[in-house]
Amino acid sequence: MASDHPYLKAAARRLAAGVPVFLVVTFAATALSSLAPGSAAQLILGENATPEQIASLNAQYGYNLPVIERYLLWLGKLVRGDLGLTLYSQQPVAGLLFDRAAVTFEIAFLAMGLSLLVGVPLAMVTASRPGGAIDKALLAVTSVMLSIPTFVTVVVLGFLFAIVLRWLPATGWVRFAEDPLGNLKSAALPVLCLSVHQAASFYRVSRAEFVSVLQEDYVLVARAKGLPTHTIMLRHAFRAAMPQVLTVMGLSMTYLLGGSFIVESYFAVPGIGWTVLSAVNSHDFPVMQAILSLTVVIFVVVFMLVDLGYALIDPRVEVA
Amino acid sequence: MTARSQDIKAQDLEAASALPAPATARLRWPRLKGFEWFAFGFVALLIAAAVLVDVIPGLARPNFPYGDFSQPPEWSLNGLLGTDPLGRSILSRVLHGARTTLGIVAVATAIALAIGMTAGMLAGFYRGPVERAVDLYANTMASLPPILVILALIAVVGNSVLTMMLALGILDIGVYARIAKGGVIAQNDRDYVLAARAMGASDARILAREILPNLVPALTAIVPPLVAGLIITEGSLSFLGYGIPPPAPSWGGMIASSTDLLSRFPLLVVGPILAIVLTVYSLNTIGDSLARRLNDRNRNL
Repeated sequence: MASDHPYLKAAARRLAAGVPVFLVVTFAATALSSLAPGSAAQLILGENATPEQIASLNAQYGYNLPVIERYLLWLGKLVRGDLGLTLYSQQPVAGLLFDRAAVTFEIAFLAMGLSLLVGVPLAMVTASRPGGAIDKALLAVTSVMLSIPTFVTVVVLGFLFAIVLRWLPATGWVRFAEDPLGNLKSAALPVLCLSVHQAASFYRVSRAEFVSVLQEDYVLVARAKGLPTHTIMLRHAFRAAMPQVLTVMGLSMTYLLGGSFIVESYFAVPGIGWTVLSAVNSHDFPVMQAILSLTVVIFVVVFMLVDLGYALIDPRVEVA
Repeated sequence: MTARSQDIKAQDLEAASALPAPATARLRWPRLKGFEWFAFGFVALLIAAAVLVDVIPGLARPNFPYGDFSQPPEWSLNGLLGTDPLGRSILSRVLHGARTTLGIVAVATAIALAIGMTAGMLAGFYRGPVERAVDLYANTMASLPPILVILALIAVVGNSVLTMMLALGILDIGVYARIAKGGVIAQNDRDYVLAARAMGASDARILAREILPNLVPALTAIVPPLVAGLIITEGSLSFLGYGIPPPAPSWGGMIASSTDLLSRFPLLVVGPILAIVLTVYSLNTIGDSLARRLNDRNRNL
């Protein structure tokens, strides 16, 4: 039976472990508005709000209800796929989130792909000669790259590509459906900026893995048989290093989401990070709550996929 | 000479260098590489500057004009990094920014260490519901980008130095708790703990006097990179305009306020960028250096 498959079980366990985390985050997100000095409705409407305005806001969003009741109401609606309406434009939050998440995900996936394409092959080259000049140089370069915060990267790369070289647009977003090439151009700077850190961390992890795999006996056997280095790299080392790289891919989702706040605000890209920032300014709690929940779901799902990925890559993986 | 035989030689070298160091080497003052000297020196200098910034002779005040606006660096104390668009000394603002950032991050780290270590040690010692609660907290914090957590808090309570300290502190509690927990579980069935228990030591005494000292090395190695992470988070929030309210100088805020003028005065951002990148690099390097030393020590024990 398919459900007895150990990897499916592991993935199911991941999901089950994610449930309490999801509940904690969504509950905290609901309770957040209760922390507001005065009342949440007062905070949203400002000091000049009339009692009638406050009452009508409370009637719609329930900010006067006890936290538990508000939370249960929210959960009940969530089950039906209803995340409520945004405070100001009164759009459905779910639809808005879907649009914005598509933008952030496009950038995140492109950044991850680019970082893997740069980091892993470079690691293959240098790992076959650890301690060499290129290896040492790249270790130094990547340790500096890992120390550059995203808000520095956006300023420097934005200056270089948009102001000095004028190769790429500095701000704005073109939808893929409207103009695929323009879409890629508008995504280029955000993707580049997120890739600096990611490429360095993929390089570091895969280099360390490759170096240790190359000391295994089976690699010695492969060498003794006379296999050329690149074959050993691609056939043996690459496969063995993949689980570790996969873990970093999972972890990098949190980094890429965090980085999207900086990148999207600096390059005026209408994604998740940009949406959160405008929600913070307008105290749009329904949007904040939905994004916090979405983030947790993404995290849990990504790590479930990482678990499944281990199994696909390496059949020896024992799922405890 | 083929490429392959070179590969094998390089590996032999690596294997040879991985052998435990001779006993005498361990007793000597640790030998630092050039970049490690730089890292320790830079952090020491930065801390000294942050503490002493008010009494540095001749340093201009951070919030008052000192010369012409947006001047490039020149060979004088206040002009070393140039002046900002309001004519204020960038060096002075970078150093005052260091004081603010390091102060906030130090308090946040103290909060996180105090709560995280206590909770983590109790979780490792008693297991059961305490452990589940600590794991849940750590998992929850790990699943959210730090900036999002702080922005959510700021949306409700507004930004102030106190909010920033508490919010940054909350972020790292889970990480410290996890490390303390793992450490206690690893130490719990050692003979020295059994001996203390046999002599009638209380749980509190065993935790504080017997186990805690053995957790210090691992925790020390993890502090610098986590502090670097908090500095980046604080800088990001200041960059986005949600950090410490102006006119207090902050590195992230200084970079953000110069970006409009970047096409004409690119040198404006050099000072704060150097400050934050070098600080983060140094802290990461110190962390790596401590972690490696710790590994060597454990291998030699």
